Amino acid sequence: MELKICHLYPDVMNLSGDRGNVICMEKRLAWRGIDVVTTGITIGENLQASDFDLFFLGNGQPFEQALLLQDLAGEKAAQLKSAAADGLPILAICGGYQLLGNSYETADGTILDGAGVLDVQTKCVGKRLVGDYAFTCEELGETIVGFENHAGKTWLGSAVKPFGAAVPGHGNNGEDGTEGARYNNVFASYAHGCLLPKNPKLCDHILKIALERKYGSAELAPLDDTLELTAHAYVETKLEK
Amino acid sequence: MNIRVSLSVLSCKFCRLALRLLGRGGTDFPGRVALKVCPDVLGRLAKNVTTIIVTGTNGKTTTARMIEQALSDSGISYFANRSGANLLSGVTAEFAMHSSMTGKCKYEYAVIEADEAAFKTIGKLVDAKAVVVTNVFSDQLDRYGEVTQTLENIRIGISHSKNAVLCLNADDSLTGSLAETVDNPVVFYGVDTPIYKTRVAESSDAPFCRVCKHEYEYDYVTYGHLGGYRCPNCGAKRPQPQVSVKEVIASDAEHSQVVMTQNGEEYPTTINLPGGYNIYNACSTMACGAALGLDPQVVSKSLSAFSCAFGRMEKFDINNVPLRMILIKNPAGCNQVLNFLTQMEEPFTFAVCLTDHTQDGRDISWIWDVDIERLVAMGDMIGKVLVSGNRADDMALRFKYAGLPMEKLEVVRDYLDLTNACVAEGRPCYIMPTYTAMLDLRGTISKHFGFKAFWE
Repeated sequence: MELKICHLYPDVMNLSGDRGNVICMEKRLAWRGIDVVTTGITIGENLQASDFDLFFLGNGQPFEQALLLQDLAGEKAAQLKSAAADGLPILAICGGYQLLGNSYETADGTILDGAGVLDVQTKCVGKRLVGDYAFTCEELGETIVGFENHAGKTWLGSAVKPFGAAVPGHGNNGEDGTEGARYNNVFASYAHGCLLPKNPKLCDHILKIALERKYGSAELAPLDDTLELTAHAYVETKLEK
Repeated sequence: MNIRVSLSVLSCKFCRLALRLLGRGGTDFPGRVALKVCPDVLGRLAKNVTTIIVTGTNGKTTTARMIEQALSDSGISYFANRSGANLLSGVTAEFAMHSSMTGKCKYEYAVIEADEAAFKTIGKLVDAKAVVVTNVFSDQLDRYGEVTQTLENIRIGISHSKNAVLCLNADDSLTGSLAETVDNPVVFYGVDTPIYKTRVAESSDAPFCRVCKHEYEYDYVTYGHLGGYRCPNCGAKRPQPQVSVKEVIASDAEHSQVVMTQNGEEYPTTINLPGGYNIYNACSTMACGAALGLDPQVVSKSLSAFSCAFGRMEKFDINNVPLRMILIKNPAGCNQVLNFLTQMEEPFTFAVCLTDHTQDGRDISWIWDVDIERLVAMGDMIGKVLVSGNRADDMALRFKYAGLPMEKLEVVRDYLDLTNACVAEGRPCYIMPTYTAMLDLRGTISKHFGFKAFWE
C-alpha cells in the first residue's frame, strides 16, 4: 500500500510547526510498512488533485498568505473544491483553514476570496485568541488538544459541521462554542501544538479514511502510543487547573 | 536636583537591596517602583549618558556583551543591563542603579539590550547614539505576533531615535528595510560568504520581496533568510555593507576565525565563541564600533576576549565534563544551534529543557519547525538524548518522530538529576534550555556545583 500526500504551499504556509502533522502522518504510515510519498506544491506550480490521496495545508504569515490567494484562485481552487466534494481527505490548520473558506475579511475591511472549499467565513478581529485549548470530537469520541493563536474569527455556514466543541478555549470565534469545520473528508482546525503527534487517534482516523478510499478497506496495526498519550494528557491536565 | 527623580532612584535602589537580602535577583519590580514614583525617570536619567541600544530577534544579549568588551578595551566607562532585563522596567532599574541620588549617572556610556516591543517606548525616552538591529525572525508568536509586527515595533522605536546611527544587518531583507523610511545615517554590516559547509533544512521567514512581492533569488545563504538576496523583478537587493565578514577561515567547538573588513581595511579576527550566528553578532559589534568611531583594531581584538552571557554558549566544567548551555527561544535560533552541532567532530551528549511559561512563549509548536531530523542523522556522534522541562514529553515526541532510536532517549524531570545524568555520560554535553529553564537550570548548577548565580 502507498499514500501520496500533497503538502500545499510548504514554503509559504510554514509557520507554527504545522509541518509536524506531515511528519507524523509519514512516520505512522512507515512504522506500519505502508509506503508514503510527500510532494510539495507551491505558488506557480500546477496541481493535479487526482494525483494525490491526501492534502495538507498549514498556517502562514499574513504577508505571504495574501500573495498566494491569487495563485489559489481559479484552477487550484476549482481542483480542491471538486476533490473535496469527491471525498478526498484534506487537513487544514489555522491560516490554511481560513484560506479554504469562502472569504476572509481583513482588519481594514477588505474582503478576500478564499478557495470556497469550506462554507465558512472569517473576519479579522483586533484581539488574538491565544492559548492551550481542547475540543471534544464526537466523531472520534475523543478530546483533541492543541494550541490556538488566531486573529480571525470564523463562522460556519450550513454546508459544514463543526469539527468539535471547544471546551475550554475559544475555537472558531469564542462565541458559539464551535471549533473547526468538517465537510466530507475535510478536517479543518485552529489547533497547532503540533496537532496530530499529540492526537494520534485523529492522525490514524484520517490515514484510515485515505487508505480506505484508495484500497476499499484498510486496517491500521496498533502502535505504542505511550509518549503521544503522555504529551496529550499533560495538556489536558494543564487545562483542568 | 529633582525631588521626584531622587525619590524614584532611592526607592529603586531600596527595592533591589531588599530583594538581594532575600537572596533574589530581579530588576522588574524595582524598575516598576521607580516608574511609579516618577514616570519619566528613564528619560531624565538617560539624558547625559551616551546610549547604545541593541534590539532584534536573536543575538541581542551576546552582541551587547561584545559591545561592552569593545567599550571597555577602548577605555570607555559604561554600564549595561546584563541580567537580561530588557523591558521598560528593567532598563529603568539599570539606569537608576547606576545613577547617584541626584540622578547623575556615574558612567559615560550605557549598553542597553531592548526587547523589540519594549524598544517602541524605550526609544522614545532614551536619545540613543547608536541602534544595533541584529535580525528579525519569526519568534514566539503568542507574544510577538508575526514578523511584520516585530518589524513594525522596531520601526517605531527607530522613528523616535532621531540622533542615532543605525547598524543594520544587510543580509536580512526584513532588517534592511528599516533604512527605507528614515533619514538616520546607516552602517550596514553583513557576511559576504556562506558560513556552514552543510546546513539544516530551514524555512525562510521572508521569501518574497518587500517591495514588489516577487520571490527573492540568493547568490548564497548564510542561514534562514539571511544572505546575498536580490529581487529579479524590481532589482531590490542586499545593500553593500560598510562592515563585513569577508572570509570565515576556521570554526570549531570553541572559536571562529574570520577576516573582517571595515571601509576597505582588513582585520583578521578571532571570536571566542563558536557558532555561525556569533559571527553575525561579532560583525554587528564591529559595525557599532564604526558608528561610535572606535578604533577597529581595538574592537576586533576585543572579540577574542569577551566573556559570554549567561546561558549563551556558556561553558561549565563539572567533574572534567565540559557542559555548554545554549539558550533556545525560536526555530531560527534553534536551527542555528543545530547548524553548529552538526559540524562537531567528537561524540557528545545532548539535552533539551523545554518549558512553556510566559517568558518562553506559551506555544511550543515551533519545535516541529526545527530540523531535529538532521541532528538524529548524526547517528553515533550523539550518545544519549535527555529531555526535561514541563514540556519534556512534547520534546520526547519530537525526537521520536525525528527517528531517534528510543533506547537513546530519556525523560529526566528534575534539573539536578538531569545535570548529574549529563555529567555521568562522560562526553562533552550540549544542553539547549528555553529561557526560564535556563534560569532554573543555571540556578541548580550554581547551587550544587559552585558557579555564579545569574544576578551576581
